[in-house]
Amino acid sequence: MPTIRLNLLNCIWAIMMKDGLCEFRTRYAVSALFMFALISLASISMSIGAASLPADLTAALLWVLLFFCAMAGLSRVFVQEEESGTIIALQIYGSGQAVLFGKLLFNILMLLSLTMLIIPLFIIFLNVDIYHWPIFIVVLILGDIGIAAASTITAAVVAKTQGKNALFTVLTFPILLPQFLSSISATAKILMNVKPDISDILFMAVYNVVLMIASSIVFDYLWYD
Amino acid sequence: MKLVLLLWIMGVIYAVLYIVPPAEGLGELVRIAFFHIPVAWVSVLAFLLSAGWSIQYLRTRDIQYDWKSSAAASLGLLFCLLATISGAIFAKLTWGAYWNWDPRQTSIFILLLIYGAYLVLRSSIQEEKERARISAVYALLSFLTVPFLVFIIPRFYFSLHPEPVINSGGKLEMDTIMIYVLLAAVGACTALFWQCFSYMVHNKQKSA
Repeated sequence: MPTIRLNLLNCIWAIMMKDGLCEFRTRYAVSALFMFALISLASISMSIGAASLPADLTAALLWVLLFFCAMAGLSRVFVQEEESGTIIALQIYGSGQAVLFGKLLFNILMLLSLTMLIIPLFIIFLNVDIYHWPIFIVVLILGDIGIAAASTITAAVVAKTQGKNALFTVLTFPILLPQFLSSISATAKILMNVKPDISDILFMAVYNVVLMIASSIVFDYLWYD
Repeated sequence: MKLVLLLWIMGVIYAVLYIVPPAEGLGELVRIAFFHIPVAWVSVLAFLLSAGWSIQYLRTRDIQYDWKSSAAASLGLLFCLLATISGAIFAKLTWGAYWNWDPRQTSIFILLLIYGAYLVLRSSIQEEKERARISAVYALLSFLTVPFLVFIIPRFYFSLHPEPVINSGGKLEMDTIMIYVLLAAVGACTALFWQCFSYMVHNKQKSA
């Protein structure tokens, strides 16, 4: 047993650092995600050539790209623990809430760093102009948090099933959809040089909070048999 | 009981075909609505029931609730498919396209996706208790989208869908005879759902 009693915040931090360290050692998820993003972006750009896309289509492409990148890698936080058998150790030492929020934080950070890599490439390849940078960044951060929040809890759901990866996308999509549609419409407005309404941003923020509260409520049922 | 239900359904079909007058603007097409509305109502009801029994399962860990939840979801998928198809036909005949992502169509499509995801999830877990627990968690999680489907999409986006019977103004814009037939149809459809549902749960209890 650990001799130092950690409070919840320290536990969350410790779990995030553990996942970060594991990821840093193998660099599997980050490189797979990045290559996936690069390939899909390049294939889109190659196939359309010099033609410019309408703003709403570009916005949809950006979010579809981010969504499928997330689907390619974010389930790892729980699936990896289950496959290597380390989940039991985690169940003994970590409390449910600390594990959930630690993994969630790790996923958010991973998705945000991926976004930081994708956005410049996206601007270069698809030749888009972004008019309202501060709002665009807010929309990106909120959208990423939403994708991470939805996929962390569904990762915990799929960890014990067969055919984890195929199921992961199927389960995450309906839960994420409300948030996903509003990220697309807000991004499309930004690309069309229209400021999105405050209600769009507010809706995304509220949905994120609701997602996190709901996952925190149901997670204990998954974590403790 | 079954005989009563059968007679009731026959009565409703007769009333829809011969008694209900053709509606203004829609003409004979209005008869589809007497199928579409009850079926759509049942598909939402089944979703609520399934989520309710999931909560019950997580609280009591009684496997009976899991059977109920699963039966409600499978029937819900069927009714949801019927509602989607009848709605698409109605849309083709009145608006000219089977599918155009009208807000209502988006809502029912998300509902269809949730039912599908829930049932796929169930089929991918072998162990009974684990399946019950994990799918109950997912049913509750997918319940998050309900406020969005019911309140936000239809209110904030422009829709071609006819006003729901219980609309925001709280007034009824229908013929009295139509209201009665519609209520009878909703009742018949719910009773049919309940009959199939009890049959499925009963079968499960016998085999266990």
